[in-house]
Amino acid sequence: MTDTGSSRPRRTRSEATDHHPDPARPTPGTPPETPLGTPPESLFGPDSQFHRFFNDPRWALAMLRATVLEAAHPQIGAALIDNSTFVAHPWRRLRNTLVSLQRMFGPDEETRQREAARLNRLHARLSGTDARNRPYDAMDPQVRAWVVATLFESSVTMCRLGGQPLDQTTMNQLYAEFQALLAAFGDQAGHLPPTLQEFWQYYDHMVQEELESTEALRIILYKLFDHLPAPPLLDGLPTVWAAGRALAGPVIGAITVASLPEPFRRRAGLPEIPGAQTLMQSAYVAAGLARFLPDGWLRTENVTSLLFLSPDSDDPRAATLTALRGRMKRAGALFRLVTPFPAQHGPAEGAGPGRDAEEFFTAVLDQTGDGYLDWPDLAAMARELSSRLDLDEPAETKLYHAYAEWWRELQTALDTDGDGRISKEEYAAGVPSLAGPALIRVAEVLFSATDKDGNQFIDADEYRALFRTGFRRTVTGADASYSRSAFVKDFLSFMSGRERSTAFDPLLAEA
Amino acid sequence: MIDVIEAARTAGVEWLSLYAFSTENWQRPGSEVDFLMRLVRRVVRKHAPLLHARGIRCRFLGVADPRIPSPLARDFADLMTLTGMNRGMTLTVAFDHGGRRDIVEAARSLIRSGVAADAVDERHFAAHLPFPDTPDVDLVIRTSGEQRISNFMLWHVAYAEMIFPSVLWPDFRAPHFLECLHTYQQRDRRFGGVTPKANGEPHS
Repeated sequence: MTDTGSSRPRRTRSEATDHHPDPARPTPGTPPETPLGTPPESLFGPDSQFHRFFNDPRWALAMLRATVLEAAHPQIGAALIDNSTFVAHPWRRLRNTLVSLQRMFGPDEETRQREAARLNRLHARLSGTDARNRPYDAMDPQVRAWVVATLFESSVTMCRLGGQPLDQTTMNQLYAEFQALLAAFGDQAGHLPPTLQEFWQYYDHMVQEELESTEALRIILYKLFDHLPAPPLLDGLPTVWAAGRALAGPVIGAITVASLPEPFRRRAGLPEIPGAQTLMQSAYVAAGLARFLPDGWLRTENVTSLLFLSPDSDDPRAATLTALRGRMKRAGALFRLVTPFPAQHGPAEGAGPGRDAEEFFTAVLDQTGDGYLDWPDLAAMARELSSRLDLDEPAETKLYHAYAEWWRELQTALDTDGDGRISKEEYAAGVPSLAGPALIRVAEVLFSATDKDGNQFIDADEYRALFRTGFRRTVTGADASYSRSAFVKDFLSFMSGRERSTAFDPLLAEA
Repeated sequence: MIDVIEAARTAGVEWLSLYAFSTENWQRPGSEVDFLMRLVRRVVRKHAPLLHARGIRCRFLGVADPRIPSPLARDFADLMTLTGMNRGMTLTVAFDHGGRRDIVEAARSLIRSGVAADAVDERHFAAHLPFPDTPDVDLVIRTSGEQRISNFMLWHVAYAEMIFPSVLWPDFRAPHFLECLHTYQQRDRRFGGVTPKANGEPHS
């Protein structure tokens, strides 16, 4: 990756750059104005076409397909490669996406407006240049239109491949819903063609002329599933997960490739695997059969909340889960103990409370998973924390600013070869200097953002908002609240990699 | 070893600790340490199913040194996971253990928790030691005729009875262990006070 343009804070002030020289500030004027002619209520909410799809298991395949088509767009591909955490933290990314979609398509207009404004701010911070020095900008109207277009087209294709094509009326309604979705992002949102007929021309043009075989596309298709970390639910069962992944990964890849438009497959040089078409269609049909399951068995939100259920959470289901996981863990342990001496060369896990620099670098600091610590990694942390805490302006910008400051401090202290980013080795050599004044400032800002009522203590609800779990081992003492100094201290010892933390680990290290 | 564990369990011992490797043992020649590591690994793997079947909860005390081979650390972790729910006897294997280090660690953790100096008492301090549920040691058996404590669970042995059989550890078997238990039963434990039991009253 080359040095990207405007989206990173610089050690020294650079030439006036095109968009926003300060990464911590979104473009002014992003909060969406109410779109002209507010869409009729039926376009969103529980009666919409979209809602019928949202709980359809085929939608998982369709979403993956849409993501691949998005990544094939040169600008989106570049933005993903530079900024996205989907390689290192795919499950967190998935959950954030689903929550976002639910808010955008939910019945509540105010929630939608807020979410749109949040997404606009988030995307306004994503711009730069790709490896070939072409600029990308997540706020580009064309880019945003394409994202919505892939979602729409993949939903339509999902029905077609599953053997239940949509009739024209339904398709028109669905298209109107997605147009309304795009409109909800405000005047910068870009535009889809006004009619469905023109949409297909636009879509074919994009597929045949604009899409490329981007690096992001290849990573999603060929790398992501080979290295996909286990979701929190299966975190304790690495062997089971790895076995399932080795089997399912290539299949999912093949299914996705086979479902892509033929002209694009040809142009991107994607392989034609014998039988993949049949496999792909069977997968869609089979997943479609799940509609005969009783209601509520496969609601997306239930499935995802289960996937993200970790045994430490205080969800009532967690007790059962913990028991089950405990049993499976013991079975796994016994299995490993009785199998004759396998040659294992992994690091000694769980040997002590500390963690070594390398592991911390991979698990926490390198959020984008490219092997380097760079501004997008820290921006991803700020992004994750902002969405956890559901921050509005100006708190969000404050947090980004604090992170940008910290980045400058880190760069000055650790980037010894001056290439603008910090490698694992540079980090390992300079670990002690990680906790400087700017990191303390990050902790302070994060505390203030979490302490919504400003009483200088994080109480139970505020704690839950940040960590998604109740007070547990982290907070000692009977008065269930977290003081500023204790919070800052814990945050520092976690962020400098000195100590594992039951609270902070799931926050930033979780897959 | 398994012989002694079995004898202890049958005799009703609820807590048994074995001192396998001390923090000072690292000073031994490299080849000897390597041999020991391999031996321990073989023993752990060989007896894991039996220990689990007998309802023994196994723990490893220490195990902090990065020099411990990772497969061995993995096996330790696995055995702890496997037997963690067992409620029979608790078997603590002190491996890479040092009593002083544990106390220093406890002090550190105490300071980190930010307790006021006056609030620290013995109970409070003990809660910061590794495996805080470990009770005080009643009996220490030091084999091979050696008569020293060698940095073993220093905090817990405060009022332990000591027995020093001359038999070497590899030859130490169930009968020796029962003999030691018998000797222990004859001891008069007063914990620094006067005898708590009147003459003729049976020991419980």
